[in-house]
Amino acid sequence: MDQFIQLILAGLATGAIYALAAIGFTLVWQTSQTINFAQGEFVMLPAILVLMAVKFLNAPLPVAVLLATGMFLLIFGLGFKTYLVDPMAKHGVLPLAIATMALSILMKEGAKDGFSAEAQQFPSLVPEGVVRLFGATLSLRDIAIFLVAVVAILALQFFVTRTRTGRMMQATAQNPTVAKILGIPTERMILLTFAINAGLAVLASFLISPVYLAKFSNGEVIGTAAFIAAIVGGFNQVRGALVGGFIVGLVDNLAAAYVSSAYRAAVPLALLVLVILFKPEGLLGSKEERTV
Amino acid sequence: MQSIDNPVLTLENIVAGYGKMTILNGTTFAVPRGSITTIIGPNGAGKSTVFKTIFGMLPARAGKVVLNGQDVTNFSPRQMLEAGAIYVPQGRNIFPELTVRHNIELGSVAAGAGIVDMPARIEAALDRFPVLRRKANSQASTLSGGEQKQLEIVRGLLLDPSLILIDEPSIGLSPMMVKETFSILTELRNKGVSILMIEQNARSALQMSDYGLVLELGQTRMFDTAPAILADPRVGQLFLGGGIAEVSAA
Repeated sequence: MDQFIQLILAGLATGAIYALAAIGFTLVWQTSQTINFAQGEFVMLPAILVLMAVKFLNAPLPVAVLLATGMFLLIFGLGFKTYLVDPMAKHGVLPLAIATMALSILMKEGAKDGFSAEAQQFPSLVPEGVVRLFGATLSLRDIAIFLVAVVAILALQFFVTRTRTGRMMQATAQNPTVAKILGIPTERMILLTFAINAGLAVLASFLISPVYLAKFSNGEVIGTAAFIAAIVGGFNQVRGALVGGFIVGLVDNLAAAYVSSAYRAAVPLALLVLVILFKPEGLLGSKEERTV
Repeated sequence: MQSIDNPVLTLENIVAGYGKMTILNGTTFAVPRGSITTIIGPNGAGKSTVFKTIFGMLPARAGKVVLNGQDVTNFSPRQMLEAGAIYVPQGRNIFPELTVRHNIELGSVAAGAGIVDMPARIEAALDRFPVLRRKANSQASTLSGGEQKQLEIVRGLLLDPSLILIDEPSIGLSPMMVKETFSILTELRNKGVSILMIEQNARSALQMSDYGLVLELGQTRMFDTAPAILADPRVGQLFLGGGIAEVSAA
């Protein structure tokens, strides 16, 4: 029972990180029909950038964090949209998706060659330690990860539903043509979702890297998990991505303990296959109708 | 073509199209102020393309669009709203997952700083149709087709437009809802708003219109008062579904 509660907490902590990545993924899809196959690398890179700033610029950690965050938002929020998505989107969804695959390889190999092929320690924002609760030993770090991610998601949810800018963003996602004829600055709204996506990736990176260490190949696991989370929850729903993230995190951790740690990655994939077979629009998704 | 004094909108030799395809090649017409004018014409005549070009959704390659005496050629939709026009395209033009209230509210995005009573206008818009008030906090997707059209119209009215471009308002609506939508438009006309409408349902649209305009291959073939267009045997044969005899008997 002890172990079960610990696994649940660990699952919720990883799940929250997957949810951050999956929500960003879904937002960008909704407003711009971009399937970002580099999403995992988006979560991998910010931590590496921090370590690079520390190593090469001798920057103190807080400065390195600010520098890496600023750079990442600029290059992978604004730059990604302006220099990769906009020019490629003209050629259709598929060329754009392939371009993001190329970007993911570039980011991964760039991190390997430009920094290190070895996994590196990443400083944790929360001290190591445990608390005892109902007889179970819970990791402080897991609790902190879970809380930080949940607060971030709630803040995002508040912004999207309770502010006018957030609603203009939703309007742009739900019906871009009508958004335009009402005078909503749709281009700015789309850019905003890219900035939010980059911000979520930075947060996820800083939360997950102390646990899994910072490594160039981290994006493979995270990217797949985020992708599965988004599809399981419902590709066109932010709250679907949230639920999907938690489900994948939980399934992942429970499978590692009770099924086989060697096959842990296969279990979420099996879940994905089941969802696609029986509820292709996702658990919370709605069927998308397109007029042609 | 008869000349019109002080038209709300004029198009002069507009050229526009998609890609290499030119749909409008020298489209020219004027829309009388404070009236309902209906554009009729066969499929592919370029009716919807005219609206998109006027409203900045499609670039005009040549020609001139003038609204209230101001040259608005290739204005963006936002600039068109600021210049006093609104556009209600064909089909469903709502944000299905936002509430009815938030859908209406988004009609005020382009409002200038001069409009200070927007919250009151939004309330008034909700009160304009009881169903909108009743469902104010429900998702807009719960509205029926006719109710959605009502939402689209009151949403546009937040900006006090001088011209409404409305494309196929009757499509997919029940006959009762069509009647109601037409009566809203008539009411607006009576308040001085100019309306330019496209309708497949040409006969009933012309019956409530002041003027009719026949568009064919992007060219204005006829412009006259609505009764005159209705009575024209050529029009009857081509677009109104009735033969010449039926029209002359009416």
